Amino acid sequence: MRFTLLMWPGGGMAWYVCKRLLQGVLTVWFIATATFFAMHNVPGDPLLNDRAMTPAIRANLEARYGLDQPLLNQYLIYLGNLARGDFGISFTQENRQVNDIIREHFPVSATLGILAVVFAAAGGVLWGALTALYRNRLPDYLIMFLVILGISVPSFVVAALSQLGLVSLNNLTGRSLLPVAGWGSVYHMLAPALVLGLSTMAYLTRLMRSSMLEIIDSDFVRTARSKGVPPALIFSRHQLRNAILPVVTVLGPQIAVITTGGFVVELVFAIPGLGRFFVEAVQQLDYTVIMGTTVFYGAFLVFMVIVVDLLYGVIDPRVRLQ
Amino acid sequence: MSAAPLLSVEDLHVEFSTHGGTVQAVRGVNFAVDAGRTLAIVGESGCGKSVSVQSVMGLIPIPPGRISAGSARLRGVEILGNNLIDGRDVRGAEIGMIFQDPMTSLNPTMTIGAQIAEPLRVHRGYGAGRAREEAIRLLDSCRIPEARKRAGQYPFEFSGGMLQRAMIAMAISCKPALLIADEPTTALDVTIQSQILDLMRELQGETGMAIILITHDLGVVARMADEVAVMYAGKIVEHGSVDDIFYRSAHPYTCGLRSAMPVNDRSRHAELKPIEGRPPDLFAPPPGCGYAPRCPHAMQLCGREHPPEFAIGPGRTRPDPAHYSRCWLHHELNRQRPPELHFRE
Repeated sequence: MRFTLLMWPGGGMAWYVCKRLLQGVLTVWFIATATFFAMHNVPGDPLLNDRAMTPAIRANLEARYGLDQPLLNQYLIYLGNLARGDFGISFTQENRQVNDIIREHFPVSATLGILAVVFAAAGGVLWGALTALYRNRLPDYLIMFLVILGISVPSFVVAALSQLGLVSLNNLTGRSLLPVAGWGSVYHMLAPALVLGLSTMAYLTRLMRSSMLEIIDSDFVRTARSKGVPPALIFSRHQLRNAILPVVTVLGPQIAVITTGGFVVELVFAIPGLGRFFVEAVQQLDYTVIMGTTVFYGAFLVFMVIVVDLLYGVIDPRVRLQ
Repeated sequence: MSAAPLLSVEDLHVEFSTHGGTVQAVRGVNFAVDAGRTLAIVGESGCGKSVSVQSVMGLIPIPPGRISAGSARLRGVEILGNNLIDGRDVRGAEIGMIFQDPMTSLNPTMTIGAQIAEPLRVHRGYGAGRAREEAIRLLDSCRIPEARKRAGQYPFEFSGGMLQRAMIAMAISCKPALLIADEPTTALDVTIQSQILDLMRELQGETGMAIILITHDLGVVARMADEVAVMYAGKIVEHGSVDDIFYRSAHPYTCGLRSAMPVNDRSRHAELKPIEGRPPDLFAPPPGCGYAPRCPHAMQLCGREHPPEFAIGPGRTRPDPAHYSRCWLHHELNRQRPPELHFRE
């Protein structure tokens, strides 16, 4: 339904992209507004948490942060700053700009997330195609059993188990094959990215399997056989490319699932990503950090969904513009 | 001309295992086709006509399908089960095939030109540019206007009739000796049907290829076929030249089909006469003639034993096939043949 927009008469590709970006900005504004008011309705305030505070200091601080003003004014000031790309200063961490926090830690989360998405997509397509080709035979049963595990076991359990596995592996070989936690090299990324992408990979495997099964017996695959096209080409050119379409459609929302899931995995693997700041900020009611990370993540996800939708047009000519 | 036919299929048996048991879809089918000739295989849905040719082409899914017996020889070389002659796939090269529904029979994410070029690249080793030029020429020869522009378009940009033309262009791209058309016009409307049939005839005239035409439309048979095989319940019940089948129908089923044809003649005040009943259950095929329960002339023997082929008349000139019928009525001891089994010319 989303793609019917593409067919609008007189709408060019550039116009379509503009419209999607405009919709995206609107979505981000909505996220910012909803988060802002929800956050201010949570009991307590950021100045309540630690030191005893005289009313005078408190009033000074409130004036400093603008907390003494009516909520609507605060909101308008916030929107104004947001429009300039300024997320403000953290309430709880000394002298830290929210922009700096994001700049330092988001690349770590993004690298992990993108790697996880790549693992999930590649694995899902591969395993899904494999199970379809071996339908109702041993490889199919085996992979589908693992898929059910992958979907139903929560990621913190898988994360802890994989660390345990890595420790025993390193002990067994007597060398540090893969680091168990931390951040720094490509080797640090492999295990957490795999864990992070696992449930999505399982979900995509199931999706790919069913869409591949539909394609395997389809008329145009039969046509390709009747032309004498070799099986490898039938697989890549006729089956895979068409079966992958539904997978690409859900990839956008799945990127959201993976990035939000990243908070837990980052914690278990001691990765200095943005997730920790997000969680701690909510616990301490650090208004600016909550707003900054939420709005930033929101914008990132909206952007990724748009990218995936455009990608879909590249793969499927039926949604491409003439 | 050599004595061996271009394609000969003998004693073909195909079955499918399902949850409900094994379906014997094709139960001993023989047919042959010579270069430049058109064989029509007619019958109602589920009689095994499509399964027969798709087995020959190696297109039925195995499992659940199984070719339990038979042979298919192309110029004397066995191709059943492997589709290979000298290690090369005959499909697309020696035998081209078109299907019932052109809307779903083409890959939706490949351009028409690329799909037509594909057999040329696979079988002839053409490079991309040369295959593309040849694809455009083929589209043009199949009467598709603006072939160059059309070659770069996708199936969803074509109409049904145009897609079937593109399918034909694809099937004949490597100049096959045989074109198998599996209900090529069933999904198209009548005026387009006629154009597609004309195109097939023209191409046959130009290239001298043989055509096997699968259809349930006797009008199409009358227009296209040189010889006809009538199939019922997995067997060929009558086989002969197109005149034999239409004017000297020997099998009661063929007669039933003929009288079930709608007649466009008000003066004859014709009512459509369907064949009562339904075909037998091929999970457990009857021991005798499959048509016996519906046949107005059935005898006790018909339910018990399956009739062999009885010759009705010899082929009159060499390319005309012998006319035979699998019906006990034509046994030499039977003197009481129902009169309607002999139509006068």
